[in-house]
Parts: sequence; structure tokens; C-alpha cells
Amino acid sequence: MSQSATAELVLDADDGHRLNRRMRDAIDAGTREIRVVNPRSRHNLGVGQHGPGTIRFDGSVGYYCGGLNNGAEIIVSRSAGWGTGEAMSSGRIEIGGTCALGTGASMRGGTIVVRGNCGPRTAANMKGGTLIVEGAVGYLAGFMTHAGDLIVCGDAGEALGDSLWAGNIWVAGKIAGLGADAVVVEPTDEESARIHGLLAAEGIDGTFTFKKVVAERKLWYFDARDPEAWLKV
Amino acid sequence: MTDHGYTQGRSHIWTSDTIRDIHAKAELGRYQIRGFSTFRQFPSWDDLVFLPAVMTRLPLEGYREHCETRTIIGGGKPDLVARPLELDIPIYLTSMSFGALGTNAKIALGKGFSAAGSASSTGEGGMLEEERAASTKLIYQMTPSRYGLDLEHLRKADAIEIALGQGAKPGTGGLLLGMKVSEKVAKMRTLPMGVDQRSCVRHPDFLGADDLQVKIIELREATDYQVPIFLKLAACRVEYDVKVACKTGCDAILLDGTEGATAAAPEYQLDNCGIPLIAAVRTARRAIEDLGMSGKIQLVVSGGIRNGVDVAKCLALGADAVAIGTSALIALGCNSPQYLDDYAALGTAPGACHHCHTGRCPVGITTQDPELEKRIDPEVGGERVAKFLRATMMECTGVAKSVGKRNVHNLEPEDLRATSLEASAFTGVPLAGVEWTVGPQYLGGR
Ligand SMILES: Cc1cc2nc3c(=O)[nH]c(=O)nc-3n(C[C@H](O)[C@H](O)[C@H](O)COP(=O)(O)O)c2cc1C
Ligand code: SF4
Repeated sequence: MSQSATAELVLDADDGHRLNRRMRDAIDAGTREIRVVNPRSRHNLGVGQHGPGTIRFDGSVGYYCGGLNNGAEIIVSRSAGWGTGEAMSSGRIEIGGTCALGTGASMRGGTIVVRGNCGPRTAANMKGGTLIVEGAVGYLAGFMTHAGDLIVCGDAGEALGDSLWAGNIWVAGKIAGLGADAVVVEPTDEESARIHGLLAAEGIDGTFTFKKVVAERKLWYFDARDPEAWLKV
Repeated sequence: MTDHGYTQGRSHIWTSDTIRDIHAKAELGRYQIRGFSTFRQFPSWDDLVFLPAVMTRLPLEGYREHCETRTIIGGGKPDLVARPLELDIPIYLTSMSFGALGTNAKIALGKGFSAAGSASSTGEGGMLEEERAASTKLIYQMTPSRYGLDLEHLRKADAIEIALGQGAKPGTGGLLLGMKVSEKVAKMRTLPMGVDQRSCVRHPDFLGADDLQVKIIELREATDYQVPIFLKLAACRVEYDVKVACKTGCDAILLDGTEGATAAAPEYQLDNCGIPLIAAVRTARRAIEDLGMSGKIQLVVSGGIRNGVDVAKCLALGADAVAIGTSALIALGCNSPQYLDDYAALGTAPGACHHCHTGRCPVGITTQDPELEKRIDPEVGGERVAKFLRATMMECTGVAKSVGKRNVHNLEPEDLRATSLEASAFTGVPLAGVEWTVGPQYLGGR
């Protein structure tokens, strides 16, 4: 389907047939602003999009909004369901309200900003990029995070940073409990400045005192580092 | 006979293997991990025989008449899948990750399966460029860890497989010991180099079948309804698992029996979890039929499939296709009698090697060591794999023709007889000679 560029394309999600395809085609045709009305918490909105362009959803979205995003800016005025921005490689996603489970799961790059709270498993398997939560995160946030920054301005639930690889988690509020192999370390002044810089870029002012959570690295290896130990079977 | 300095005594409980295992655990303080597949003995495909045509059927001329082998997976939902996976043969390569396998092995397998008109699969470690280039058709495997998951890779794939279980280690995640987490592997997986990678078992953004249903639509939306989406399941509660899988809206189910291999798994999992493939195929087919989904969802099976007659038996019991791993690796040279000193250094010998987990594969297949990898020439290896597949299909079509079939997909349970009570009970196939079926009535028992 070929489309010509318009200053702003308005799509009605009630007429949802191949909506994602229509957005991609519009961006390919040069449209830079897309507004989607009546999202009504539908699943799979804004999936597999690319830049350059901004897609705004007027309302709440369901599961996997902005999933596999490859460069688009996606702005949701209200809340989002599971797996927001999962596996995103680049771009920016902003959620005005709250997010449910698995926000930014396995994302590799780009930025996600959630103005409210996030549910469990936020940033699980994250492999890069920045995920900022202005509110609180649920249990198992940062589970097996490989790389990137999960920044939580509010509180964090149980099992924070369980089985972390090399990702960093920053929490300004209370931590209900750390997961296996997660430890709190003192951030350096430069690190704090970097995190505050990321927040400022998203319009989040204020001075936070972040606790930095990283892997203690006890789960990175089986006890035996001697290759001969693997030959006994 | 002595083995590693132990002699088998008269006890059937405290065998030399059991004693050796306890000694190793007492020394290491952890369970044993190894590659290859279960060492348990299950009723096997050898417990089933075909009944070729004699007086009541007409055989096909083995060397002259054609037996169709074309196989289409994901063709049951044309409104959702624009490009089903079309294969010349009913066999494709199972998911074996780059990381578990070296680059040259990956390329060789891609070339071999492409030459046979079939497909290969990425496995857990992400899409290797060299493998994509070597494979005419490539299945992208999405595991819970999502290593290297990339929209563009999904779009370059010819099918997407969502891994929910593996026959060798159901209910657990991937495992790649530090010896194999080389710079290239670490980069693809975003891991610190040299760590013992233990992957998660649950997907990070769905938990149950209802969520998975939405996830499958997400993948379709992202890839524009081009390619089929498979679910890989370990054979466990087969009837219910398959029925629930059908409800997720997937296009094909890959059912992996407990005989399925691994590059590394805890030994207690390998030998004690999941059910043998022979016990799962018929039940899986019946589950799909119960839902009226035959033809809409394809059933692919894997785990311990060695030759063309095993393939034919799987098809006869209800599979639409099979996937193979170990037999393709053996075709490539696994366990072949060369580099004997290197086998000996692992404490093993050709024919007995199961040491893929060590990263020191004597023949250069399951390794990231650049020197060992040189032992696989992708061209030569690809030709060996292609020849093996050709021979396998000659066996498969040969037996199908003798049974009187013009299409391997027309093989059916009635073409088989069981030579053991267990095989009859597991498959619902009558016992040879007495025409009496052991087992539940819904599978033909009486
Ligand atoms: C070296 C090796 C690597 C494997 N890697 C994966 C993997 O990445 N993902 C997966 O689902 N299964 C993996 N498997 C299991 C296979 O996909 C498949 O389930 C099994 O090999 C089938 O049994 P077969 O080898 O007897 O044919 C691996 C198996 C082997 C031997
Ligand atoms: S020869 Fe290589 S591929 Fe074969 S079992 Fe041994 S280590 Fe594994």
C-alpha cells in the first residue's frame, strides 16, 4: 500500500485492520506524526515500527505496545499492558500512566520512560538501553538483566535484580528485597551525574539518592573453574 | 570390564556407573552436566516393523516409480501465513545454537540441508550471518533468554519457532558452559565473556497460553503475516500440552521426545524427565484431531531419529515432518574415528563421545576453539550432510514404496506392527502376528 506524506496522519484503532502496517507505510512515505485514536487497550499496537517518526496513542494500550520497536518514538497518553517495548532495539517509548508485567523485556537499546508504576519482571532479560520508571516496580524487576540501565525513582519489589548479568539497576526508593546474587553498591559521583543526566533528558527533575544494584557474580560461574572438572561424567 | 578404573560388580543397584557418579558428586559438590542424550533404554523405533504390500496391497517399483516427499509446514492458515515453509523432504534441522555449535559446523549444516531442499534452524543464540547466508531456508528460534533477538532477523527468517521446552531437559533453560562463551558468542548474547551461561526457562513477557496467543499475533504483526510460527514443546503431558498449544493459534507444533539431544544438560534431567517420542506421536496426532485441527496445524516430531525408516515410522504414526539434530551431527563427523588423542584427552573414544559440553569437541563441531573448528570444512561437511539426507530419504521412500504408498505422507498406523508389548501400548499399533493391541481403546487397544 503506498501512502503520501501528511503533516499528521490520524488513524482510528476501531478500524484496526493491519494498523501496524499502515503506520509503517506512512512513515516510509515520509509522514512524521501519527496519532491513533480509540486504542481502547487493544493488544499489539505500534509493533515492529521503525523511525523516523512519532506515533501517539490517545488512551491506554494492551500487551506488547511498541514491541520490537526499531527506531520509532511511541507515546501513550495513558497506561499499557504486558511487554511494553519488548525486544526494542532503538527509539523511544513513553507511557503516561502505568505498565503491567515485563516492560522492556529483552530490550537491546533505546529508551523507555514510564511516568507511573510498573508491574513485575520490568527489564527482565534487558540487553541494553535505558528504562526509566518514575514510580515503583514490582517483583523480579531487572531479572537476568544483561546490560543497560533500569532506573527506578520510586520503590522496588521483592527479588530485585535476581540473577543479574552485567546490567545496572538504580533505585531511589525502598527495596523490598534483593534477588539471588544481587548486591547494593555505592555509586560514584560520575555515575550519579550520568543517571541524573538521563532523567533530566526525560524532563524528570530533582535530586535522587540512588542505590546501585549489580551482580555479585557468584552465579556467573559454577564453583569449579577447572575444565578437568567437566570430564568426570 | 573396567571403566575409568572401576569394575562392574554383581550389584544391579550399586553399579560401577552409580559408584563413579557418587564419587564425582562427592568431589565436585554439584550435579553432573553433559552433552548428547539420555543413556536410559526406552522402547525404540526398532520395536515397530512395516508391513509391506503382499497380496492385499500393490507395492511401487522401488527404482522406477516416484514417491512424493514434498512437505509444507504452516500452510493450513493461508490468511495468516503468506509463505508457508515448503520443503522437498519431510526432514529439517532442529534448533542447535551458535555457541553450542561452532561457525563452521553451522555453515556446513546450513549448506547440507539447503542442498537437500530443506531448512535449518538458528537455535537459542541468535541469527549468525554466516548461517543465514548458507541456508536457503532458516527457522529463527526464540527462546526465553531472547539472545540477540532482532526485528530484522525475524524478518529474514523463513519461520519462527518459540521454544517452550526441549526433550533433553524439559522445564529448564539453556546451558552453555564458559569454555564456549567466546568473544563472538558473548557479543551475540550480550554476556560477559567466559561465564557459565544458565538461561531462564520462562519467557519474560508471557506466562500462560492466553498471553502466548497475543504474543503470536505480535510476531505476525511484526513480520507482516509472512511466515509460520511454530511452538517447540518437550513431550510431557502430551495430550493436554498439544491441545493448549493448538489454542494459542500457532501454525505448527514441534514435539521433542526425551531422547532429544543437548549440548549441555544436567544428567538428572536427561535421564529422568519427559517421555519417549514413540509414546508421544500418536497421542499428539489424536489431540490435534480431537480439536479438528489436522491440516491446519502441522505436527513435527524430534528426538532420537536415526534413519529414514525411523522417519517413515514417525510419519506413519501421525507426524507431518520430523526434525533431526544428532544424526546430522554424526553425518558431519561427530564420533568419527580421527584425532584419537583428543578423544583420549577427554577420557573418551570415537563411538562413545558425549562431551559436547566441554567445548573441546575432537572433530571441531561443538566448539568455539578456532584450531578445533578448522577440522570442519563447511563445503565437505555440507556435502556429507546432504548425502546423508539423500540416503535417509532413499530409505524413507524405499520403505513407503514397499508398503505401496505414492506419498510418504500417506503412511499410516495400519502399515505398522509392534514387536514388543510396550511399543504396542505406546503406539496403539497391534502386536505382530496376533493382531492384538495392548493399551487404551482410543488408540486401538482391545
Ligand atoms: C549441540 C546441540 C545444541 C542444541 N541447541 C539447542 C537450542 O539452542 N535450542 C533448542 O531448543 N534445542 C537445542 N538442542 C536440542 C535440539 O534442538 C533437538 O531438540 C534435539 O537435538 C533433537 O534430538 P536428536 O538430536 O536426537 O535429533 C540442541 C541439541 C544439540 C545436540
Ligand atoms: S564428537 Fe563432538 S559433537 Fe560428537 S559427541 Fe563428541 S564433543 Fe559432541
